[in-house]
Amino acid sequence: MGKVTPKSPLPIRIAALAICAGVGALLSRAVLAIPETESGLAPLVDANLEASGVKNAVTAVLLNFRGYDTLLEIAVLMLATIGVLSLSVTQKGTWDPIAAQADPVLSALARFLAPVMILVSGYLLWAGEHAPGGAFQAGSVVGAAGVLLALSGYARPAWISRFALRAAISVGFIVFIAVAIGEMIAGGLLLQYPADLAKTLMLLVETWLTVSIGAILVSLFIASASPAEELRMRSGGEG
Amino acid sequence: MTEWIMRQLPALVILVPFTAAPLAYLLGTKFGRPIALVSALLSQPLAVLLAMRVSREGALRYEVGGWGGPLGIDLVVDGVAAVMVLVTTVVGLFVTVYALGYFGDRERYRFFWPLWLFLWGSLLALFLSGDIFNLYVCLELVSMSAVALVGLTLRREALVAAMRYMLAAILGSLFYLLGVALIYGAFGSVDMQTLREVIRVDTTGQAALALMTVGLVLKTALFPLHFWLPPAHSNAPSPVSAVLSALVIKGSFYILVRLWVDVAQPAAFPGVSTVLGVLGATAIVWGSIQALRQERLKMLVAYSTVAQIGYLFLMFPLVTGGGPAAADAWMGGVFHAASHALAKSAMFLAAGTVLARFGHDRIEGLGGLSRRAPATAMTFGLAGVTMMGLPPSGGFVAKWQMIRASIESGQWWWAVVVVAGGLLAAAYVFKVVGPFFGREPEALDEADLDPGPSPWTMEGAALALALGSLVLGVLGQPLLDLIMVSAPALVTGVTP
Repeated sequence: MGKVTPKSPLPIRIAALAICAGVGALLSRAVLAIPETESGLAPLVDANLEASGVKNAVTAVLLNFRGYDTLLEIAVLMLATIGVLSLSVTQKGTWDPIAAQADPVLSALARFLAPVMILVSGYLLWAGEHAPGGAFQAGSVVGAAGVLLALSGYARPAWISRFALRAAISVGFIVFIAVAIGEMIAGGLLLQYPADLAKTLMLLVETWLTVSIGAILVSLFIASASPAEELRMRSGGEG
Repeated sequence: MTEWIMRQLPALVILVPFTAAPLAYLLGTKFGRPIALVSALLSQPLAVLLAMRVSREGALRYEVGGWGGPLGIDLVVDGVAAVMVLVTTVVGLFVTVYALGYFGDRERYRFFWPLWLFLWGSLLALFLSGDIFNLYVCLELVSMSAVALVGLTLRREALVAAMRYMLAAILGSLFYLLGVALIYGAFGSVDMQTLREVIRVDTTGQAALALMTVGLVLKTALFPLHFWLPPAHSNAPSPVSAVLSALVIKGSFYILVRLWVDVAQPAAFPGVSTVLGVLGATAIVWGSIQALRQERLKMLVAYSTVAQIGYLFLMFPLVTGGGPAAADAWMGGVFHAASHALAKSAMFLAAGTVLARFGHDRIEGLGGLSRRAPATAMTFGLAGVTMMGLPPSGGFVAKWQMIRASIESGQWWWAVVVVAGGLLAAAYVFKVVGPFFGREPEALDEADLDPGPSPWTMEGAALALALGSLVLGVLGQPLLDLIMVSAPALVTGVTP
């Protein structure tokens, strides 16, 4: 850190401590008072799991029972990325290499690891149907692969245009919305999957969500890392 | 086709801006502008149809995914929700038209269009949600897009304000989320309709409601938690300021009202209602006095918002006792939210026109504005009528209802606050409008820099909103009736 953060005066720090302790005590008391017998919605989820089209309860809740929440959550992720891009000083944030000179060992390792990570993410995506996994986990692994490549000095390949990157960031939400509207046109309600197509449609949505979540995580990392990196270079690399 | 649209109406209302938003991002400024305009125009008939359906058939329940609560998520459209959707849609249209002129096709503001469409869709989703966890997701969407929009110009003050706003907004959201977690843990549901039956005011229920109330009050910027509002609302680009003051703060207020009046029964907590009412009254006085002290137009308008938020909270002590007073307070509070939305967005847009044209918004330098920008000066005057609560404006109807509720419930002191607030508002409105219609300043450097009239779309959009706030006063009865459609049991006195 080049600059020392000024300390707040003692009374303010004591007051903050008192407020935190008070809220903490309140929370502990509230949590301890919850009766242990309450089981929430789990029995209801189990009873309807058959009808959801998938065998993993978490996936059934995320994509089907509360799919609307997930639709809005992918919007949150996309919105966060647009927000960070709009506020980043360079407004670039498009997968430019972060490390100026890459370590040859690191770059060789990244070359080896990236394809394996893509493979793992494909497995996680598929496994989500019946076991822990799904689009968010798979997308995180894709994102990690992208971050690794960027840190190892790999620039954005020329074939990925800026438009393609924007498309990757938004495709998950767009496909999700398109499926939702398609279901309405087919005679159902918003995000009401027809029983025979539920599994296929959910996998379609999850596949594109994986792409978007990966692209979003990479973009967030790079857009928010760039200014700090520039700052550090300007101040002589003492950070 | 007609039948399909009517059946899918609640979903369609939300889907229009949410489909437009990613397309506007993907295709950039050139297409973002027409996409936003098409989305704004398409939304109008949908919102009107929704309101008509609700006033004819009573509250609508739309089961997303076909599951129904508590397993699935329900969209619920009662009278209040329909009114908030209408207000959002009308304000949204004129802000969009204004922004087309304000931002032009400048590439550096390309992010405005997707961010604004996302914000629009999130607000609609929030007003229609019947699920307290889904409401949290909506709150996050609203805050995230609002914060990014505040910092859009990348000016230093705007970024500092956006940062402060973000910290307050996130803290508020997390407090709310903690409450949601406690409620789910203790009562096993996040569906409002189910919760209404099973919620108990025990230790956990109290803690949850307390946390959620603090979080939402922080996000609504009720005195003394308003510290983040004036810098954020005044440093944002003006179309954004308009949306923040008109709609965004009402989102968190709306959840607070639903939570207390609809789900939990405030009769069990007369103390909380009184505290919220006292803070509201303090906000009216404090915000107005601060507004009077400002030298910049946008800061004055922002402090006026701090004051006007206060009226919304007078609803709590007036509703708590039930009876006819509760119905009047309910109508007054919601009507105030609607008329303030129109008038305040008009004021911020007018201030933005001034700022864009003259490069400053110092009140002392704006004398004689009525000759140089008659439409903008008039916009400010007309919107001021609603702020003061003079007939025949929407603000008058709202305050009239609140005064009636105070007298009916025997709490005359709130009526005194309402009247005093109107006088204070008159003081700060005349501080601005007086000079507008007065002499031009002597040493007039600004006039030399005057680049000429602003685009008619900007002045026209602001004037239309100001006129709208007056029309509400004349044609208020249908709206008052709509507000009472399927109102909470406490307000109507009828157990559903």
